[in-house]
Amino acid sequence: MSPTSTLSSQLTSRNPADETAPVRIAVKDLNFYYGQFHGLKNVNLNFHDRQVTALIGPSGCGKSTLLRTFNRIYSLYPEQRATGQILLDGQNVLDPKIDLNELRARVGMVFQKPTPFPMSIYDNVAFGLRLYERLPKSELDGRVEDALRKSALWDEVKDKLKQAGTGLSGGQQQRLCIARSVAQRPEVILFDEPTSALDPISTGRIEELIEQLRNEFTIVIVTHNMQQAARISQFTAFMYLGELIEFAPTTKMFMNPEKRQTQDYITGRFG
Amino acid sequence: MTALTEQIALASDTRSSRTKPSRGLDRAFHLAAVSSAMLVLLVLAGILGSIVYGGWPAFREFGFGFVTSSAWNVGTEQYGALVAVIGTLASAFLALLIGVPISIGIAVYLTQLCPGWARKPVAMTIELLASVPSIIYGMWGLFIFAPLFARYIQIPVSNVVEGLPIVGTILYARVPSGVGVLTAGIILAIMIVPFVASITRDMLDQIPTVLRESAYGIGCTTWEVVRHVLVPQASVSIIGAIMLGLGRALGETMAVTFVVGNANRLSASIFDPSSTIASRIANEFNEADGMQLNALMALGCLLFVITFIVLIIARLLTRRAKVA
Repeated sequence: MSPTSTLSSQLTSRNPADETAPVRIAVKDLNFYYGQFHGLKNVNLNFHDRQVTALIGPSGCGKSTLLRTFNRIYSLYPEQRATGQILLDGQNVLDPKIDLNELRARVGMVFQKPTPFPMSIYDNVAFGLRLYERLPKSELDGRVEDALRKSALWDEVKDKLKQAGTGLSGGQQQRLCIARSVAQRPEVILFDEPTSALDPISTGRIEELIEQLRNEFTIVIVTHNMQQAARISQFTAFMYLGELIEFAPTTKMFMNPEKRQTQDYITGRFG
Repeated sequence: MTALTEQIALASDTRSSRTKPSRGLDRAFHLAAVSSAMLVLLVLAGILGSIVYGGWPAFREFGFGFVTSSAWNVGTEQYGALVAVIGTLASAFLALLIGVPISIGIAVYLTQLCPGWARKPVAMTIELLASVPSIIYGMWGLFIFAPLFARYIQIPVSNVVEGLPIVGTILYARVPSGVGVLTAGIILAIMIVPFVASITRDMLDQIPTVLRESAYGIGCTTWEVVRHVLVPQASVSIIGAIMLGLGRALGETMAVTFVVGNANRLSASIFDPSSTIASRIANEFNEADGMQLNALMALGCLLFVITFIVLIIARLLTRRAKVA
């Protein structure tokens, strides 16, 4: 059995890519620099509404870099800069005048490792909400419960909301971080290799969760695991050495890639 | 081929030529290491023992009253530690009150806000502060800081608060000389800042980047990230750092003796001169004998106990932080 056919067995026929879905994020002529290093080269790409788009490619190809431009988290580091345009609902994210805190509430992010804050489970979820909205206690409780339910964590934590978030297992912590993002009702959620620190069972639960979250949010996920990309995404972008090599519906990408490099990568000839 | 056989020959040669392990030397080494370690324990026990022995007559004479009495009269041989104990605790507390927020500010600046090129120089300057001998702080505090403090702080503040309830007592200088408990607290604050700041900085540096990024990632401002995520994450270690600073403030002698005023008077005003345990001992040891000497020794015991407790708490807290 060739690697391609192993991958194709993972493809989800249930959720075909919807190429007519409106564009949520449009990346235009994006270039990115780490000091002198040219990390992203003329990237042009559209992300469709309520679809999961996977970014794949070998280490150092720029997939995480691309993800980190959408919420401008890179701007914490003064030596990093981006040129070009990233239009989120038509508004350029790279515009220096944009309110970064508001942007980051609209574009949530989940990291490689779970990052619960040093506070209770309840406060971890409520924290992001309290930053933007003054809600009465009852409504806040409702939003927290709602976010935890959507993150498939409610049943496990409903009796210990006051306990520390750091006391949960790794997989639970990661779902807590997802709940934290979900609670803010963002438009887009970015996942940066969200399961790389988790065991297979926790990974499975996170993947199911992403599948469900797609009904409400536009999702971009960086993954080094091609099976994962095949399992959960509708669109896949393959990147190599800072360039976007190919972008296509996931089924097409894995069954019948256009570019030679893509073919080589997904069949495991390099990477 | 020859090379290989030569090597084998060499190897077997070293094996055979190796003398029997000298058990004697090994044992001597072992003994030397153990006794070095034991010596430290012995010295500590010796110091503690002799101070307790020296202070015993005072404890026996005055009983628990030694701690609760504010008398310190060489003429009538009445001795009590209350003023010195309160002076010690008050000046150290004020030092923390002033020094800790500044230290955390420095640490946050260095780890979160400071541009890369400025990090080293600022951090170096703060560590240099730690290397200034305490007599320099004392001298500077008495001759330069105290007169300025009297003229620009004590007198105007006393004029404003005079007659007011509570603040009129706490912040009123009967004799605006510049020296006093608050002055000692300020000088001590300058002295503990480098310690607390550098430990806090190390702790903040150890926080993983992803935690910081995820706090920014939900839209926190720098203040919210620091206040709600970074400082709580490092809180236990920061408390440990504060305790180490407190230990230093409690025992500091030279600088405090210069600026605390050395009066044996209970006063509710932090502008008034007072004494600390260390300054009282430093001032009187030279001429003391008899019961006065015993009383000073007993004061030493109290200081030992206070700093020991603080250090134990600091140690426990920093250890717990490492486990977590």
